[in-house]
Amino acid sequence: MSTHTAHTDGAHHDAHDHGHHHETFISKYIFSMDHKMIAKQFLITGIIMGVIGMSMSLIFRLQLAYPDMKFPFLESIIGQWGKDGKLDPNFYLALITIHGTIMVFYVLTAGLSGTFSNLLIPLQVGARDMASPFMNMLSYWFFFLSSVVLLSSLFVDGGPASAGWTVYPPLSALPKAIPGSGTGMTLWLVAIILFIASSLLGGINYITTVLNMRTKGMKMTRLPLTIWAFLITAVLGLLSFPVLLGAGLLLIFDRSFGTSFYLNEIVAELAGGIERVGGSPVLYQHLFWFLGHPEVYIILLPALGITSEVIATNSRKPIFGYRAMIGSILAIAFLSFIVWGHHMFVTGMNPFLGSVFMLGTLIIAVPSAVKTFNYMATLWKGNLQLTPAMMFAIGLVSFFISGGLTGIYLGNAALDINLHDTYFVVAHFHLVMGSAAIFGMMSGIYHWYPKMFGRMMNNTLGYLHFWLTLISAYCVFFPMHFMGLAGVPRRYYANTAYDQFDVFIDMNQFVTIAAIIGGAAQILFLVNFFGSIYRGKRAPQNPWNSNTLEWTTPVEHLHGNWPGDIPYVYRWPYDYSKPGAELDFIPQNVPDADQNDPLDEPKPVHFDLKNTTMPLVETKEA
Amino acid sequence: MKIVTSVLKSLVLVTALFSLSLTAAFAQSAEEGEKLYNANCTSCHAINEKVVGPALKNVHTKRKEAWLIKWIKNSQALVKSGDAEAVAVYKENNESVMTSFENLSDNEIKSIIAYIKKESEAPAQASVAPAATASSDAAATTTASSEVSDSLKTSINWLIIIILVLLVMVIVLVLDILAKVGEIQGEKIINWNGINAKLLLAFGIVGIVASAWEIWEHGKLTVFNQTPASAHGAEYDSMFMITLIITGIVFFITQGLLFWYAYKYKHNAKRRALFYPDNHKIELVWTVIPAIVLTILVVRGLKTWTEITGDKNPEAKVIEVYGYQFAWNARYAGEDNQLGKHDFRQIGVINALGVDTNDVKAQDDIITNELHLAVGEPVMLKFRAKDVIHSAYLPHFRVQMNVVPGLPTQFGFTPSLTTAEMRQKLNDPKFDYAILCNKICGSAHYRMKMKVVVHTKEEFKKWLAQQPKLVNKTAPAAQATAQVETTSETKAAN
Repeated sequence: MSTHTAHTDGAHHDAHDHGHHHETFISKYIFSMDHKMIAKQFLITGIIMGVIGMSMSLIFRLQLAYPDMKFPFLESIIGQWGKDGKLDPNFYLALITIHGTIMVFYVLTAGLSGTFSNLLIPLQVGARDMASPFMNMLSYWFFFLSSVVLLSSLFVDGGPASAGWTVYPPLSALPKAIPGSGTGMTLWLVAIILFIASSLLGGINYITTVLNMRTKGMKMTRLPLTIWAFLITAVLGLLSFPVLLGAGLLLIFDRSFGTSFYLNEIVAELAGGIERVGGSPVLYQHLFWFLGHPEVYIILLPALGITSEVIATNSRKPIFGYRAMIGSILAIAFLSFIVWGHHMFVTGMNPFLGSVFMLGTLIIAVPSAVKTFNYMATLWKGNLQLTPAMMFAIGLVSFFISGGLTGIYLGNAALDINLHDTYFVVAHFHLVMGSAAIFGMMSGIYHWYPKMFGRMMNNTLGYLHFWLTLISAYCVFFPMHFMGLAGVPRRYYANTAYDQFDVFIDMNQFVTIAAIIGGAAQILFLVNFFGSIYRGKRAPQNPWNSNTLEWTTPVEHLHGNWPGDIPYVYRWPYDYSKPGAELDFIPQNVPDADQNDPLDEPKPVHFDLKNTTMPLVETKEA
Repeated sequence: MKIVTSVLKSLVLVTALFSLSLTAAFAQSAEEGEKLYNANCTSCHAINEKVVGPALKNVHTKRKEAWLIKWIKNSQALVKSGDAEAVAVYKENNESVMTSFENLSDNEIKSIIAYIKKESEAPAQASVAPAATASSDAAATTTASSEVSDSLKTSINWLIIIILVLLVMVIVLVLDILAKVGEIQGEKIINWNGINAKLLLAFGIVGIVASAWEIWEHGKLTVFNQTPASAHGAEYDSMFMITLIITGIVFFITQGLLFWYAYKYKHNAKRRALFYPDNHKIELVWTVIPAIVLTILVVRGLKTWTEITGDKNPEAKVIEVYGYQFAWNARYAGEDNQLGKHDFRQIGVINALGVDTNDVKAQDDIITNELHLAVGEPVMLKFRAKDVIHSAYLPHFRVQMNVVPGLPTQFGFTPSLTTAEMRQKLNDPKFDYAILCNKICGSAHYRMKMKVVVHTKEEFKKWLAQQPKLVNKTAPAAQATAQVETTSETKAAN
């Protein structure tokens, strides 16, 4: 099979300049401007942050399961915060805050989108690198700096920010309100501002590259769904992160310069000697959630994009309803901007506004349902290669269903009255955006690991990792729904003050044990991930028999991606099991026999169910 | 003149507030102390365990009484004065600042200490008492064994985890060796694709059965298994059940199909996948059907939402609920049926709620540490916060509203079950309704609660009549001004 089509097009002559630069260790591994290296930097930093964030969750899960027990080892890990083996209530709040911040921003935004947008956008659209490799490098280093600042806040007086990951003022604005609202909170804000800078630098680059640097023939309607997802994600980030920046700056003013943007009727004694009047704490919530809700999709869309690609490739079938998939991404993205108020139904907002936000929120269920059904239709009558990546993608769809359905409760303003801020919410978002997005990320890592490191990951470890993670994630988050329905509030250090919650003591212990098992399962992943870099089997060029352009590049990375000309694109990326073709896949750069211009569409095939030209051999038990 | 009277009036209220906190000299009884302790201390302290603040057991022997009084009234002042003991305590507790209680009199603090003394000694007595009886040995053994079994249970839990980890390691090793042997022999020993397909099916089946079991079994623990305690609760619960049924059906069908397809269409070398990229009819169907179902949910939801939030009964009794780190207060209007105004600038040690001392209507207001309601009588709770955002959450009433500093919020509802009735229904004689704080507000967030009691109408009237008013008035309202002046004179004379 020919993977490279020769071109004599003048536009491609610059290709030969690439790959010949002299590279030092620093320019290759540290201040690299190569998108593939930057992707790896994002991924590894994200994984390190993920390990930290998850370890934090295990510490507070121990506290929740055994509120009366002492864990002397805590003192050796967290020092004064775990005196005599008891977790300090203030530090409990710090842990949940930093856990949330790390997971939402550092792992699932930068770690997921940063990694795969960087890796796949140039490779899949057929570009030699990002539009601005330098900005791309800056994007990573801002992210790195931001991570360092956030982690350093763990070591300051009073501890890190402790007002929850949403850092609502006045709790976050008044240093006197909790110990964590002192230096720790300042560092949190600095870290987030650096993070936003990183995210914007990345986002502008992704958008420009997708729009301007596609190879010949790569029409928008021939883009893999991964790229569509990354593009829309970048647009969402570009439109919403600046609002968070604004919100953060005003909060800094309130904290440090005596203004009252978010403060009203606070006596001088509480607010650093200056009486605060005239602002509104709810203003912050509006600004925060104007980012906060699109942020959910900034996390989820890349995971869904990866899933689309992985499911189609491993089902050996075209993704069902390609245009509907793009349409639903666009619909979700648009709607995500007009539903932020559903986080605020019980803030005292005008009930009429609540109605509007409720309407928008429940409409999102329609494109989400379309996506789910399309995934299932893709699996239907496929020929499923159950690789670890495929298993994680199926896991994502399962979590997306479970967590998406509880969104219908929470998006309903009336039902939200009793469910708001309870464990039902914790269960909901950990399934739909926590577990689902992590599964999407894992799916992507297992699928593109050969592209990133030129080696294969160990399948046995991969499967074990999948099963332990899937089962423990469900065991951790499914029972939480019922605690929420019984009225157990989230962010409680212990439920001991309420006799009515005593019935959940066993459940809390069960959840914690499941969480520990799930955490331990990630060690398998770490061993597999880092071990395979050195000891994995050498990867073939196209291990999954995939259609997209990244698999036409050589296994060994080179600056500029393709040794010769950039391939032209003649078809969409989902010609799997096409009737009449010899193999069950046709890469995008392969023209049909009579297709001369890449812009021409290949001959359509008849795929009517009744007159299928493909004989279907019925499956028998293997 | 006007200014003079208003100044006078405010003077009266201030003195009244003073007198409220000083009401006669309390006997230093443990009984009084218990009330004060429960009202002021429990959100951060317990006798026998460290909560947010340290355990208070035997604090009366550890520190001098005079020191304790100073510390409780204003610990920061004591720390700043350089008192070595105070600095040590402050450091020991991670420098978290204890709330100042300057409103408590020396005698009241002494009563609290007396109560702590009583409680510190109580458990010791309890353990001594059975020793004198014949069954003491048996009792001691059972306590000991239950302790042992508890610690045993946890160590067993840990053991299970360790065994699991080892098990996983062994499995990985064995499977890896098998895979390598397979490679050498040139044929796969383990058909991962087949195994995983079966496992996915098994997971789907077990998962569906397990979630159905859990919905049935753990559903019983939720508030939706109990009769709602408010009038709108029935509407709320039926909305909930409709959503549960619809999402439940979708959940079981889609999850079932997902795992079934994953099994059914597993890889088979003899078969090709069906090239089937599109079908507009099918897509239209599964766009329109969810849209219709959601329309039903939206319409029904909007109806419920408007009914609940539109509850603006003009006859509703207005009660103010005031939240601060880390407790709640309720304020009832007195005979004039109108709450006095409030002014945050007047929040201070004496006037903790910032009741406007210039407002005559505030004089007969009643401030309590518990929220009492009358069954069948509509109430409008008006929320106010002092410091940070709290959220008043009453799950049994299907009521929640954030309590935001500087932003008045409210929630109107009608309680429909008294505490006694609910206790009977739940078969739990100790059950009490509560307001839970449901917005992260600091270290004692998880203990910030207020007991809620729902009475019959008669009981409620009786209870309200027993509560002290901010200013105790005996004269008719017509002579209010004169009364104000005389009271102030009396106070001045005192």
